[in-house]
Amino acid sequence: MCAMTAIAPTAPETPARRLPGDLAIWFFILAEMLAFAVFFSAYAFARATHVAEFNLYQQTLDRNLGALNTVLLITGSWFVVLAVQAAHRDDRPAIPRNILLGFLCGAGFLAVKVVEYAAKFGAGISMSTNTFYMFYISLTFFHFMHVILGMVILAILWVQARKGVYGSHDAHGLESGAAYWHMVDLLWIVLFPLVYVMR
Amino acid sequence: MQFKSQAVAKPYFIAAIGLFVGQILFGLILGLQYVLGDFLFPAIPFNVARMVHTNLLIVWLLFGFMGGAYYMIPEESETELFSPKLALALFWIFLVAGALTIVGYLAVPYATLAELTGNNLLETMGREFLEQPLPTKLGIVVVALGFLFNLTLTVLKGKKTSISLVLLLGLWGLAVFFLFSFYNPVNVVLDKFFWWWTVHLWVEGVWELILGSFLAFVLIKTTGVDREVIEKWLYVIVTLTLITGIIGTGHHYFWIGTPEYWQWWGSIFSALEPIPFFAMTVFAFNMVNRRRREHPNKAAVLWALGTGVMAFLGAGVWGFLHTLAPVNYYTHGTQITAAHGHMAFYGAYAMVNLMMISYAMPILRGRAANSNKSQVLEMWSFWLMTVAMVFITLFLTAAGILQVWLQRASDTPLPFMVAQEKIALFYWMREWAGVAFLVGLVIYILSFFVGGQEEKAA
Amino acid sequence: MNALKNPAHRAWLVLLVATAITWYLGEVGAAGTLSIVAMLLIAFVKGRLVILDFMELRNAPALWRALLEGWLILVSSLILLAYWISLK
Repeated sequence: MCAMTAIAPTAPETPARRLPGDLAIWFFILAEMLAFAVFFSAYAFARATHVAEFNLYQQTLDRNLGALNTVLLITGSWFVVLAVQAAHRDDRPAIPRNILLGFLCGAGFLAVKVVEYAAKFGAGISMSTNTFYMFYISLTFFHFMHVILGMVILAILWVQARKGVYGSHDAHGLESGAAYWHMVDLLWIVLFPLVYVMR
Repeated sequence: MQFKSQAVAKPYFIAAIGLFVGQILFGLILGLQYVLGDFLFPAIPFNVARMVHTNLLIVWLLFGFMGGAYYMIPEESETELFSPKLALALFWIFLVAGALTIVGYLAVPYATLAELTGNNLLETMGREFLEQPLPTKLGIVVVALGFLFNLTLTVLKGKKTSISLVLLLGLWGLAVFFLFSFYNPVNVVLDKFFWWWTVHLWVEGVWELILGSFLAFVLIKTTGVDREVIEKWLYVIVTLTLITGIIGTGHHYFWIGTPEYWQWWGSIFSALEPIPFFAMTVFAFNMVNRRRREHPNKAAVLWALGTGVMAFLGAGVWGFLHTLAPVNYYTHGTQITAAHGHMAFYGAYAMVNLMMISYAMPILRGRAANSNKSQVLEMWSFWLMTVAMVFITLFLTAAGILQVWLQRASDTPLPFMVAQEKIALFYWMREWAGVAFLVGLVIYILSFFVGGQEEKAA
Repeated sequence: MNALKNPAHRAWLVLLVATAITWYLGEVGAAGTLSIVAMLLIAFVKGRLVILDFMELRNAPALWRALLEGWLILVSSLILLAYWISLK
């Protein structure tokens, strides 16, 4: 509700208090985060009634690949921040370059995830194997789809940035897309310890 | 009216309202049969009355959607409709097919109807909401294809706006998912699984796109807010609808023999289905508050705000009430479902059609808005129907809670029919609320015939 | 260390170190209340850095900062509650 009152474009925008990007994208990000919040809590509370099972099968997950993926997403996010900063100081060539590097980090994440999935599915594991694997596959796959969506957005930003759309005069679209990409990172930062490590 | 061909919407709207009246009359018969089991038996048995009630609902909503689309697309595309003749021809085909189907339901036993219409060639009948005989189903496909052909070509030759593209996406989805009504596997689990692809993905998927698109169109016209702002909201709503709605199908897969993970997927995602409806409500109020002009058609704005709120309550809140698997374990198929169904269909789809009719009909009749007298009457009908529907929903919810308690949760559960007798009082109250709804509907129709000082021609 | 004046660079370095700690806790098989709290704290710090320095909400209207940080607190608390129940 109150979120909506902020939409009024008449609100005086002092440089000190500014929401980067578009209000609509933030509404969307919040809705997405709510979905994950529900999913994360469902995992945690389902675990409370299957502790032994969750602890046992959590050991079969590849923590190294999980941590590597965290590093990839964090770095990907960092590159995109650099792209936004480049836009604000009108460093035109640095914008698409950093977006591209962020995109490549996302591609690396997907590749690592595919390797991980191949091992699991190859071992005959599916959503019906047990509750832990159901959550592992559901949560990571739902997140996987978000990485893909984030990369689609980055690809659009890259094309636009190459056309020279963004700069200190207007970085609205870039900031909106960047915010979504950071959300993908933020979600994984909770997902990784929760599903791979915490016991 | 900006384009002559928009006029084809008029017969569609009139037919929609006519069928709406039929739906409510059968609703009242049905409501009475809950308490007087042999009312009108054997002429109109309960199962037939129910089938007519729900089928008329679907058909009048489809007429409304088509009328709305024929009105909106030329204006959005800024070009005449590709073929107004085709639109009129399809109108008569659809109306006659619909009428014959209803006559068939009422005139002969359902099994005989199935035999007469070639159900043995391709078995599609006998499933809730998809009871239509094979020729009717084929007719619907032909009408839908012709309709989509007509609209798509119109958009292709004219301007392509986000609002018309979202509408086309919704309408194409509607047609595609209807094809699952022809798929009727022998395995009961598969049968139910794909049956929901039509039923759920219609009302909790593609129809919401149609709703969002109509709402956006009327808000642009009545508030004068920038198209860009409205389109942005539409995109957010559409994406949220598709994410929650498509995976939310899982909330129908709890107890039909599907794998266990559906209980999680279905619960989690369907629990989020209120979000797009909430966004629609916020969207509607926000745009009206930021309006740049006072549109003379206040009734249409009222319907637009009403559909946001009532869809959120009926589809969102009342849906959430029983969508989580552990709750649904007790409430499945009780009057709670009926309560949700009534308010959701009225709030989301009946009201959005009435909004479209309210906005377009005066213009189709050559004026920007109806006379003040007529609008006051229309707004009275809005409040009467809406409040009546709130009471129908509340009484059914009360009946449902009692039913769950007596029949399922209790230590000494009662048999179904015994529990039904115990909740008869709520059925009586629901029936009276239904009568109030009919009064509202009659006033609504009267508002079309009230003259008075008209607003300037559009 | 001029580069560290950029909050994004600082955040990135802290995030890498924090990830390494979580990974290490996993490798040594840390379990139980203390390690759960530690990992949630690390996740909270990491999430907050992403919200403030990557999403650049440090200077956003207070409402939006509160919404995002509130999400982080809510999720961590719910997870903590569920784990606490499981330990009982």
